[in-house]
Amino acid sequence: MTYILGIESSCDETAAAVVIDGKTIASNVVATQIDLHAKYGGVFPEVASRAHVEAIGAVVEQAMEDAGIDYSQLDAIAVTRGPGLVGSLLVGVNYAKGLALSTGKPLLGIHHIEGHIYSLWLTQPFREVVFPVLVLIVSGGHTDLILMRGHGQYERLGGTLDDAAGEAFDKVGRLLGLPFPGGPHIQQAAQLGNPTAYKFPRAKQDESYDFSFSGLKTAVMREVTVQPSTQARSKRRRGAEKKARLRSDVSVHDVAASFQAALVDILVEKTARAAAEYGATEILIAGGVSANSLLRQQMRAKTELPVRYPPLNLCTDNGAMIAAAAHMRFEMGLRSNLNFEVLPMWPLTSDAYELADKMV
Amino acid sequence: MPILRDNELDIISHSVEQTQRIGARLGALLQAGDVICLAGDMGAGKTVFTAGIGRGWGAIAPVTSPTFNLVHEHRREKDNLRLIHIDCYRLQGVADLETIGFDDILARHGVLIIEWPERIEGALPKDKLWIEFNILEPTRRSFLLEADGARYQQLLNQFKEATFGV
Repeated sequence: MTYILGIESSCDETAAAVVIDGKTIASNVVATQIDLHAKYGGVFPEVASRAHVEAIGAVVEQAMEDAGIDYSQLDAIAVTRGPGLVGSLLVGVNYAKGLALSTGKPLLGIHHIEGHIYSLWLTQPFREVVFPVLVLIVSGGHTDLILMRGHGQYERLGGTLDDAAGEAFDKVGRLLGLPFPGGPHIQQAAQLGNPTAYKFPRAKQDESYDFSFSGLKTAVMREVTVQPSTQARSKRRRGAEKKARLRSDVSVHDVAASFQAALVDILVEKTARAAAEYGATEILIAGGVSANSLLRQQMRAKTELPVRYPPLNLCTDNGAMIAAAAHMRFEMGLRSNLNFEVLPMWPLTSDAYELADKMV
Repeated sequence: MPILRDNELDIISHSVEQTQRIGARLGALLQAGDVICLAGDMGAGKTVFTAGIGRGWGAIAPVTSPTFNLVHEHRREKDNLRLIHIDCYRLQGVADLETIGFDDILARHGVLIIEWPERIEGALPKDKLWIEFNILEPTRRSFLLEADGARYQQLLNQFKEATFGV
């Protein structure tokens, strides 16, 4: 049996987990910072790295204790190398390097998005994935459609041209006066709303597999806010910020429901079409927005293929997914150098790990 | 047409596609060390414009919103130059710049695109191109380009020529 400790700190969760053979979660500890960032309306880098520093030791210790094993029983230590916020990534990576140095265990620097994908391997460990599969990555920073023909093989079919899906949720949430993060709060508000009250555009209805959510966000803004005065030039405008005001006759519930329906339609249409075109055996959804219940439900309804998504606790960032991806890489022979650098931007491709050291 | 100073240029775009094309014209002219500030409300077209800049400049990966990660770095085929795209929306002020490594970014001497520059005005270099985005109507946007310093006056002139032939 292979025991891997996975450490994740790329954004606003400090997380660690021990996973056995890439499939069985022995422990999974997550310290979230959502409350810390709510007042900023988004993850705030300085606050995030400080909170990571404070939490990481205890989180890793707890993960080891919950798993009931000693460092000497580990086969490897894995950590998110990127993409993500520099300051946040550094906390996890430096901690993991220290652990690797003191325990003599191999260290693996793992791709965060690959982690999200391999969280799907933790969900139904007894039903093997049959390639090719189509993966939809939807989170605050990413929206990508990826065809996987084998382990570690990623063919990007398309992705967002502007805002990520989770970012669109956050921005519309902010417009509607809902708390951060936008996703869960819009979903909640949408429950009491009419999804057909507003006809928001399903932009980018073309043959490509690219997404665009900026137009949808702007359409929502146009519909629900007081038009800013149309003076072409605000006087010496620098520093003067215009704030869009919510119209008083707008139902937040209806807007939330209509916006969510439009966004889900866009995601589902492209995903289902790509899955059919490339003969995928299964659709995998991963990333924070995969927690959205309308997305899950519509994806199942609009395609004949099985749809796999993580349980709610594995949708958001966690250490188990990093350990799961690391297991695959460990088997393939990856061992990272102790002096590797973090990669805030790191495209997920089939040769991502070969290119990694050349990117710095 | 408003009366503008020599170092200013006012453009109206009638569509998202046009905004992107205007951005591409500018992107093709950018050099190492250039600083372009994009100010204006959410939905005014800053990211679309930057996507155009990326296209014109030759970025390998499509330029998307950096709101989540705050800093995106792009590269192109033809040389080693980097295009660095920053979103300051969530920064509270100049003090927060340290957290995104702003000094390092300036020292890298790439092309720098800054969204929400209002948030960090005190830390910006004196010479720069400042573009103010305004929403006129649902699909119409106006851009006011203002050049500070000789390099940006030259850039603005080149841009005028590339775009209007004057």
